Amino acid sequence: MWKSGTTSDKSELVIALAGQPNCGKSTIFNAVAGFKVNTGNFSGTTVSFTETDVYIGGRTIRLIDLPGTYSLTAHDAAERVARDYLLSGRVDVIINVIDTSLLARSLELTLQLIEMDVPMVVALNMFDEAQKKGMEIDIPKLKSLTGVEACPLVAVQGSGVHELFETAIRVAQEGFKRVAPVYDRDVEECIAAILARYPSALRERLAVDERFVVIQLLEMDEEFETITRETDSDFMEYVHECRRSLAQIHDWPESGVFASHRHALVLDLFEEVAVVKSRAAVSPGEAIDRFIINPVGGLAATVGVFFSMFAVSFWIGNLIAGLVEGPLDSFGIYLNGHVSGSAGILVSGIYDGFTAGVGIVLPYLIPLLVVLSLLEDTGLLPRIAFMVDGLLHRFGLHGKSVVPIIMGYGCNVPAIMAARNLEYERDRVVTMLMVPFIACSARTVIILALAGKYLGAGYTTLIYLGNIAIALGISSALSRFSSDLSPGIIMDVPPLRRPYLHIVSRKVWVRILEFLLFAWPIIAVSSIALAVFSFIGIDGAINRLFSPVTEIILRLPSELGITLFLGIFRKELTLIMLNSALDTADVSLVLSSEQILVLVVFTVLYIPCIATITTLWKEGGAKVALLSIVLNTSVALAVAGAVAWLV
Amino acid sequence: MTLLELKEGDTAVISRISGGKGVLSRMAGLGLHEGKTIRVVQAAPFRGPLLIEDVLSGARTMIGRGVASHVEIRDDKR
Repeated sequence: MWKSGTTSDKSELVIALAGQPNCGKSTIFNAVAGFKVNTGNFSGTTVSFTETDVYIGGRTIRLIDLPGTYSLTAHDAAERVARDYLLSGRVDVIINVIDTSLLARSLELTLQLIEMDVPMVVALNMFDEAQKKGMEIDIPKLKSLTGVEACPLVAVQGSGVHELFETAIRVAQEGFKRVAPVYDRDVEECIAAILARYPSALRERLAVDERFVVIQLLEMDEEFETITRETDSDFMEYVHECRRSLAQIHDWPESGVFASHRHALVLDLFEEVAVVKSRAAVSPGEAIDRFIINPVGGLAATVGVFFSMFAVSFWIGNLIAGLVEGPLDSFGIYLNGHVSGSAGILVSGIYDGFTAGVGIVLPYLIPLLVVLSLLEDTGLLPRIAFMVDGLLHRFGLHGKSVVPIIMGYGCNVPAIMAARNLEYERDRVVTMLMVPFIACSARTVIILALAGKYLGAGYTTLIYLGNIAIALGISSALSRFSSDLSPGIIMDVPPLRRPYLHIVSRKVWVRILEFLLFAWPIIAVSSIALAVFSFIGIDGAINRLFSPVTEIILRLPSELGITLFLGIFRKELTLIMLNSALDTADVSLVLSSEQILVLVVFTVLYIPCIATITTLWKEGGAKVALLSIVLNTSVALAVAGAVAWLV
Repeated sequence: MTLLELKEGDTAVISRISGGKGVLSRMAGLGLHEGKTIRVVQAAPFRGPLLIEDVLSGARTMIGRGVASHVEIRDDKR
């Protein structure tokens, strides 16, 4: 598996950003590559690798952003991505990114990377925070003790990034001479004894430094153990014996004995290179943190975050929608007066799609995206996870599921991918099946534009609370099918950090661009298709096909059949097509309040959109995707049907 | 004595962590090793996790109660 040691193009330098979670790898990546990957102040923002070509110092570099990993012994799917890439032999230089304020902890991975013996540079990121903590680092000494060069930088401000890459390129050109970490005598004797028996078959199988392989085996790395056992089971048995006796000598569990020795080396190294002087005064971030880490303040903040997420989107959305309404209407009247006939159908289709994007979707989407970006960047997400972990356990979920759940309010697709951060398969599957019930931005737009506009704030709040209750009910029901208990949460809580305008605005812009480039064309094409359908008169046939659902179960006009069908492609389409399907700009003239409620409830819950289904398939397999379709559709029919017949 | 028995604001030294390999190395990854001095900053409501601070670096981690009951501690005084 880790055999091919060839670089695709020899002239191209391959640099990988590796480091522990939340140390700023993606921020460095974005600083040189433009905004290409999402960033946030919590562990596990990046779950798969992204590569791009960048031009630095007159040469092309293939730069790879890897998910964070605490060690090279991988546990969750995201960590495995990082480790497999680093071991693939494709990397020329590793940039080991470190949160300098957490230097001692970060050096554990650094030492493991040094053991791999691949050219590397250390990026001392968040250097300003470390200085504020009163930390001083002897960079030349770090170099003399490890052979690795280190560059201080503050990636969010872009300072030091250029020097970092220049150093990486220089290391690639001038060569790299590491100082291999040396352990206690009995550990070294153990390594030497195993190395002396290192089978040549294994040497052929693994194109990785032999000492590194032996250390991985001593650390009980499952993948290396499997490969070694397959290749030479006697050798593996010998490693077992060595490991057992090492554990006995030190009276330590077998699984932790090697790590504890490395930890001792890390502490020595840390004490040699870093001095911590007096801490600076309490920062504003710490003062806020003290408030929101308390149960009362924290729960108030959690509720406040949820409330502001939708209230801000609604109020600002209404404001923008009101502002653009007038100009769009007069443009429509102008068009009506100038185009007619079959060209008119095409033009009115395009016009409907365009105005729907500008007038209905974007006004609500933009404020929601801003709030979500602020949530990601400040570090509120892990704190919300802390507050609600205990509650979520009662519903078979995990505090770590908070990140996918809240991201789900933006878009279900990255939310389902974020479930990769959950270590246990059971937690992952439950979270993946629950996320499609969360009202993503497209569905939030529908709720705000229909329920918010026609039913009022009371019903809108009720719909959101009902939505949360249903999602929790689903996960609670699902978790009863599996008795495996996960051992509980272990999660990093980074300090609160101030958001940067240039990063938040880039994040929002990238997501709006996604809407413009992917969603808008679908909306425009569907818009034209709908106009053509009604022109040649086949919309009636499609509506009749769905009439058992629309008319009988949901008690809605059959004209909505086609709009609900189109919603499978993009949820916004249901809303956008509504006006043309019902042939009115004011939905309340055609639908009763109860019908609007049924329509909103059904749209929020029924079959996930195509993109979500595809992602579920990729992340969880066909079974999860199918289960999700069946689950969502039946829950939607049951709940919306009940509302239709009982309210 | 285990971590679970500490009150908010208490400081102690981790003397031993038991549990599966996954838990052990996840704790190690977050810098929670034997011999480390930690402080319980806050216990989350609804029998939620404990917020632990590494006294030396100020790094904070949340740990579920199940895991915390497997972390043995001793008094801070050496």
